[in-house]
Amino acid sequence: MAQIALATGFVLILAGLYGALTNRDILRMIVAFTIADTGVNIVLVAVGYLPGRTAPILDAAVPVAEAGQRIIDPVPQALVLTAIVIGLGITALMLAYAYRLFRLRHSLDISTFTELKW
Amino acid sequence: MIRHVVVALLVALLGIAFWTLTAGYLPDAELNRTAAYYAAHAQDEVGAPNIVTGIIVTWRGLDTLGEVTVLFLTSAVIALVLTQSKTPAGATGAGFLPSGELLTTGTRMIVPLIVLLGAYVIMNGHLTPGGGFQGGAILASGALLTLLAEPTRRFGHSVIARVESASGLTYVLVGLAGMMIAGGFLDNGILPLGRFGAMLSAGAIPLISVLIGLKVGAEFSSILESLHETEDA
Amino acid sequence: MVSPVLILAIGLGTAFALGLLSQARKSFLFLVTLAALALMAAISLGWVVALATGAAMTAEIHTAGVAPPFAINLRVGLAEAALLATISLAGLFSALSMREPLLRLGRGAMAVLLVLVMAISGLVMTRDLFNLFVFIELIAIATAGVVLLSQDQRAICAGFKYLVVSQIIAILMLIGIIFTYHATGSLNIDDIVATPVAFHGAALAIFLLLIALVVELKPFPANGWALDIYTSAHPGFSALFSAATGSAALFAVDKVATYAGDAWLPLLTGIGLLSFVGSNIVALRQENDRRLLGYSSVGQLGLVLAVIGQRDVLGDAYLYIAGGLILSHAVAKAGLFWMSAIVRGRTLTDWAAIRARAPMVLAFATFIAMLVGLPPFPGFYAKWDLAQALVAAGRLPILSLILLGVLIESAYLFRWFGYAIKREAVEKGLLANTVDCGITLAAVAGGWALGWIWGVAHGEFNVLATLPVLAVVAFLLLEPLPAKVKNVLAIAALLGWFAMVVGGYDPMRLIFAAVMIPGGAVILIASFTETGRRIGFYPSAMAMYAGLALLLEATTFFEFFAAWEIMTLGSYFLILRGRMSEPHALSYMLFSLGGAFALLAGFAIASGGVQPFPLDQLGTVAADLAPYVFVLLAVGFMTKTAAMGLHIWLPGAHAEAETDVSPMVSGILLKAGLFGLFLMLMQLGRQSLWGVDLTYVLVWIGAISAFLGAVLAIFQEDAKRLLAYSSISQMGYALFGIALMNHLGWLMAMMFVINHYVYKSMLFLAVGGVYKRTHTKLMYKMGGLITLMPFTFVSVLVGIIAMSGVPPLSGFGGRWIFYNAIMDAGLRLPLILIFMAGPIGFLYLFRLIHTIFLGQLKDPHRKLKEAPAWLVAPQMIFVAFLIGFAVLPGMALQKVDGYIGSIFGDQPLVWSGRAIASEFGYWNPVAIMVVIIVVFVSVFLILLAKNHDAQKVKQFNIVFSAERPYRPETTHFAWNFFAPYRKAMGFLETPVVSTFWGGVTDGINGVGDFTRRFYNGNGQSYAIHVVLFVVAVYLIAMGGVA
Repeated sequence: MAQIALATGFVLILAGLYGALTNRDILRMIVAFTIADTGVNIVLVAVGYLPGRTAPILDAAVPVAEAGQRIIDPVPQALVLTAIVIGLGITALMLAYAYRLFRLRHSLDISTFTELKW
Repeated sequence: MIRHVVVALLVALLGIAFWTLTAGYLPDAELNRTAAYYAAHAQDEVGAPNIVTGIIVTWRGLDTLGEVTVLFLTSAVIALVLTQSKTPAGATGAGFLPSGELLTTGTRMIVPLIVLLGAYVIMNGHLTPGGGFQGGAILASGALLTLLAEPTRRFGHSVIARVESASGLTYVLVGLAGMMIAGGFLDNGILPLGRFGAMLSAGAIPLISVLIGLKVGAEFSSILESLHETEDA
Repeated sequence: MVSPVLILAIGLGTAFALGLLSQARKSFLFLVTLAALALMAAISLGWVVALATGAAMTAEIHTAGVAPPFAINLRVGLAEAALLATISLAGLFSALSMREPLLRLGRGAMAVLLVLVMAISGLVMTRDLFNLFVFIELIAIATAGVVLLSQDQRAICAGFKYLVVSQIIAILMLIGIIFTYHATGSLNIDDIVATPVAFHGAALAIFLLLIALVVELKPFPANGWALDIYTSAHPGFSALFSAATGSAALFAVDKVATYAGDAWLPLLTGIGLLSFVGSNIVALRQENDRRLLGYSSVGQLGLVLAVIGQRDVLGDAYLYIAGGLILSHAVAKAGLFWMSAIVRGRTLTDWAAIRARAPMVLAFATFIAMLVGLPPFPGFYAKWDLAQALVAAGRLPILSLILLGVLIESAYLFRWFGYAIKREAVEKGLLANTVDCGITLAAVAGGWALGWIWGVAHGEFNVLATLPVLAVVAFLLLEPLPAKVKNVLAIAALLGWFAMVVGGYDPMRLIFAAVMIPGGAVILIASFTETGRRIGFYPSAMAMYAGLALLLEATTFFEFFAAWEIMTLGSYFLILRGRMSEPHALSYMLFSLGGAFALLAGFAIASGGVQPFPLDQLGTVAADLAPYVFVLLAVGFMTKTAAMGLHIWLPGAHAEAETDVSPMVSGILLKAGLFGLFLMLMQLGRQSLWGVDLTYVLVWIGAISAFLGAVLAIFQEDAKRLLAYSSISQMGYALFGIALMNHLGWLMAMMFVINHYVYKSMLFLAVGGVYKRTHTKLMYKMGGLITLMPFTFVSVLVGIIAMSGVPPLSGFGGRWIFYNAIMDAGLRLPLILIFMAGPIGFLYLFRLIHTIFLGQLKDPHRKLKEAPAWLVAPQMIFVAFLIGFAVLPGMALQKVDGYIGSIFGDQPLVWSGRAIASEFGYWNPVAIMVVIIVVFVSVFLILLAKNHDAQKVKQFNIVFSAERPYRPETTHFAWNFFAPYRKAMGFLETPVVSTFWGGVTDGINGVGDFTRRFYNGNGQSYAIHVVLFVVAVYLIAMGGVA
């Protein structure tokens, strides 16, 4: 089970990277990166999963005393929240940049922005 | 074409590395010591039944402060990116078709509900799934819906900025208060832990959740607003 | 002490609070921002002081009131505090540098800057892996924001490229973190160190995390994105990006490397070295100043990364070395970026504009010396300790690569400095600005302060605390005074120092000291001709003399090396002052640094890492290492004496220098190399490598230098170049004498030390005087100056008599001892060469006096006056000395003779009264003098008696067949003076050596030019480079570690 989730996450990461490195269109690159980000997030939560356990919330179903035996690892869940927010921030920023680049050259082809080199 | 082949090869090689991670992966049978500590001390240290919220707001509170800052930065930077290429005043939104009756009316009905749901999710962050981020995002979705329904509408930038700043500053001050009267920066023990599982419990966690919720909501709204203003008429 | 967590809280709180303040009052907002940054800086400086003085312990800050590993914790030890101070100060000054865009864009921009500084500080403090990631992402986003402050439209492209790469870094890092967590059950760095790793995928997890952090350091060649930022961003931000972000990222690598374990260190070393050498090579072809600084930053970060990779052998010195390198880099690079704001143009040559402001030149020189690691700056101490540790661990190849990188880096940095000093300055090339100048000078002050701190911390020898170096600093402060006043002070300082130290020296040191210190004072008399303030001359000259003075004082390897570097640096600045000396000063510097690195390696091998190592224990080095030490030291010293093969810097450097500088660098500076050779041979004696007696090799090099130097000298048209080549020849003689390894050889070399100083200084002053009047150094443009410049003529006459070694002057004494020495040694083949060098030497000396002073007076020269009195005065002192020394050589030499006798245990010369006897004959200087005088006086009287037989010929009593020749100078008798000899020996003139060194530099430049095509400007390609880099390192690492 965990392996399947991991593999899914990794496939998404690789697919995202492939897309980001082969598509010249800036918007497609950004979309590709969000796919890769999603893959990373899946990998994160997959690592916290313990077979046969429940969400880390102490309620009637999970008494405090048994928590250690009943819940999955809460840490990756906390981390993934942060990772999602950061990914979102960067995506939004890249979109804003894409807009500026478009206004600059009326093109979204990344290979046209090469004044700086060597 | 060469680029595609090279990239494919690179991605394949990276895939091999990932494959070794996947193939060698064994899920833990027991919680590791960090997780076990959190499970055991959720009640007496942070007083939050939702352990994830306890981790986010207290134990890893610094991450969360950073996370809030990421959004703050993003909204500030996007504003910076776009200030230099705003469409000329007056032209904004002139070319939009009016949004449909359904959307407009629907928005009017749904937005208050969305805000209510957001507030609920924020306030119950320490008890049930949810919290400041989730609630803040829900609040911002209300703002998004409003923008969609009325493309020419402008939020008061200064109001958003003030909410954003005030909640952020208060968050930092709450953190410092933790250092002064409790165990350290961002310690939620500045307020009594209260009865485990009650709405007003878990020390400062509900307070911080509200601050996060307000801040996230304001930041998302501000980002949406900035992006919205760029639309070419 | 307040808690360091306040640094984060203040930064963040102020950033949030700015939103509550009125957007309209921008100056007030800016003041608040500055105040916050200043407060952050004050807190961190307070911690630095408290931790350094022991007033406080390392601060462990627990957040959430829970002990780690269960909550995030922060740590501030000395290293962290120093970095925090650097970061917040860089932030403060960069904010000042960026005041214009910050005020234009308002509170959003200020908030982003504050968050950036906060996040960099957090990256340094945090002990939690995921928290590390959060701060890195904060830095990435803030960077993308601050880049936009630039007016340059291209910054937008650069920012986007940066974001693309940040995404890749984030992906790798998160995977690395989560699997590390899975493997260890903890995110706390210290906790991970304490827990044994169970899960076998952990190596890969660590790899992903490490490589992500390494990519964050912009390693060569996966760094196109970062270079674009350096090129296009506001210089204030680039300063922060290089100094603060770079240092903090290095620290993050260090933290992760701590728990990753020693197995990963070779990988870090490899990446670091590749980055250091590679980016420096590419930088050679850069013409854009900020991009060059970018390449240099990448290189410096690579160097420190390599040092991190060597932490297993550095032991306690690790922090000292890495810290010295990081802080040197941070201060110098930030200073240079801030400085670039006052230069209007963006090519390297545009920096010529800064010449108008002396403090800016000082700043530029300070920063370059810091980057290259010259004394008195921290990088120098760090480089020394690093070399010691690496050699002690047997990692010589790593040391050589590092030194190679430093050499390449110094090539482009000093070339750039040369442009600034010598190139044509465009009009209005300087954006006059007090604030930018102010923050640049703040960086300069910081650099010197760090130099002091590192010197104190070194324990063995604080360069800045020595009297001679303090004198240099004093002369820097005295710059506003007129040149003549400074000259008096300089002479007084030299004589005062000599009076102070003279009592304690053995006879050999005494001779060197007399030549270098009071000898220098005599030459300084000539400097009275200069008017105005002569900015830059005195600090440089005093730095050279300080180096020489310390060289004689040195008792340990380190002191010797420090003195050597100070001397080199001072003389470089001196030589660079010449009108056409830009390329020559550069090649001088590169050869000198190369030689110094040979010394560094030689000393390190000899001491085996033991410090301090006394200079007089050099002889105790293990027998199997001694030959290598010998070779390295000999190469180092022979670079300074310009032995054939390592000589190509000398002719230009000496010939193009200023009138009073040429005698200093020729008459005095060359002796430093001889001094080193004496010390070395005294301790190491004869050594054999692969069955070859190394002193025998030196004998050959000496003979060839003496011979070829003379041959090359006779074909020069430029009088100063002729003298310069003659120095190569003369130093060849001295080298030959020392390498003979017998009593008389050494005595002769000592004789050369004195003689060469006197007559070469005298001749350079004389030719300099002629140049001052005729404005040419080309001999065929002169002639007949004997009547117009009689004193100068006399000094040249006496000089060449002394130099050519004919009786009666002291040169003959030199030769006499010399021939005795050769007879002793029994080396026949080099002996023939050195004999032949004698008459050839006579040819060029003849040409010198004949072409300049005899023959026809040129039309433009009819109204010339004698050289300025201040130039003539020292020459006359030299003339008097030469005649005196000819008569009474015993006054100096007898003691030295006795001293050398105590080394070799023999006494081949017998001093009786004024006569000296050896087994091959005897020499009575007084008698010879009397004989010569009698002969000359009688011939003179005969000529006088026959004077009325002579016929006067008018000057134009010649005919050119009624044709005006196409190139008139070719008809001059002095043009191509020794044409027949050129036919015979011209092949010796083929510039084999220059061609060789030219090929080396062209090759390296070509590689740089080829490599930089790799940076094609496409953001996507850069992203592919990053992935390619990661995969390549992965494949290598999995081969090595797993």
